[in-house]
Amino acid sequence: MEEVEKREEGSNDGKLEGGVEVRVLVVDDSPVDRRMVEVLLKKSGAMFQVTSVDSGKRAMEVLGLSEDKTKSPVVDDQKVDIILTDYCMPEMTGYDLLKAVKEQSCQKPIPVIVMSSENEPQRINRCRAIGAEDFIIKPLQTNDVLRLRSYARTGLPPPPPPPPSSSSNAGTKRKMTIELMAESGGGGSERRRPRLTGLAVA
Amino acid sequence: MESDRLQKIYIDFASVVFREEFLDNQYTQLQQLQDESEPKFVLQVGTLFLEDSEKLLNGLRSILDQQDVDFEKLDACVRKLMGSSASIGAKRVKNVCMAFHNSCKNGSKEGCLKCLQQVAQEYLLVKRKLETLFKLEKQILAAGGSVPVLSQ
Repeated sequence: MEEVEKREEGSNDGKLEGGVEVRVLVVDDSPVDRRMVEVLLKKSGAMFQVTSVDSGKRAMEVLGLSEDKTKSPVVDDQKVDIILTDYCMPEMTGYDLLKAVKEQSCQKPIPVIVMSSENEPQRINRCRAIGAEDFIIKPLQTNDVLRLRSYARTGLPPPPPPPPSSSSNAGTKRKMTIELMAESGGGGSERRRPRLTGLAVA
Repeated sequence: MESDRLQKIYIDFASVVFREEFLDNQYTQLQQLQDESEPKFVLQVGTLFLEDSEKLLNGLRSILDQQDVDFEKLDACVRKLMGSSASIGAKRVKNVCMAFHNSCKNGSKEGCLKCLQQVAQEYLLVKRKLETLFKLEKQILAAGGSVPVLSQ
């Protein structure tokens, strides 16, 4: 099944403060997770333009990359500011995609964040070793997507390095203090309900 | 008021669903993402989960039907189901998938067959719970009420 979805998320004009819109390519063969990430990006308050694909192969097509290494890499890297890819996918894994993107000879390869539902230190180190900007454990939460913007190629400085955790090779999920999600700039009616330990009526 | 009555039914039902760990706080997270801009988000993700799970379960059955079981392929399928059940908060399905994953790693066909039976059973149970929750949510909204959000 081939599927490319493009959604404009955020305010009407799709612009960030300063006029910069972050274009995210989401790569995940799970339809559940693709939908979740799309909505999380939408709710984060930052302005994301999201393209979703269900395979590494499809991601390569969107990026204009060729798997044939004999061809000179003609990278249309204007389309995407950041790639958010699942690790475990059939045929072309997230690792394979990460490697293909980082092997491009352009000056600034696209930042790649890898997602996985498994917290395996070896896997995480493997991805970081070839240049993954971050590794997030699924299911994604709001504070995970809030950090994405700082990785995007918008000229913003990268976030400070994470504080050492108790398991030093663990994934980066929840390593920052959990912050309440900022209110979305658009609409005013979008507001995240606070989580209560008892019953909350929406 | 009708919506109050329906909300009470929903809360009582959802409390049991959470207490018996069919669903966990991840489901609450999904509810909290739902609002006027995404009014059917939980129903959409729930439906995607049910459809995807049916396909994955069929895939698992077909792999285990082979004389020579490809445990790597089986495990990949199990991990997909584990991932999507974690994403929706289907805790019991996820837990059985973890046992299934271990049986795959051990190359135990007998163990895997047993796990398949258990995961299929847990899937049917959570499917019924989700369908009931969706039905109640629809009724509450039709009566002009709002859907309660529970967390453990």
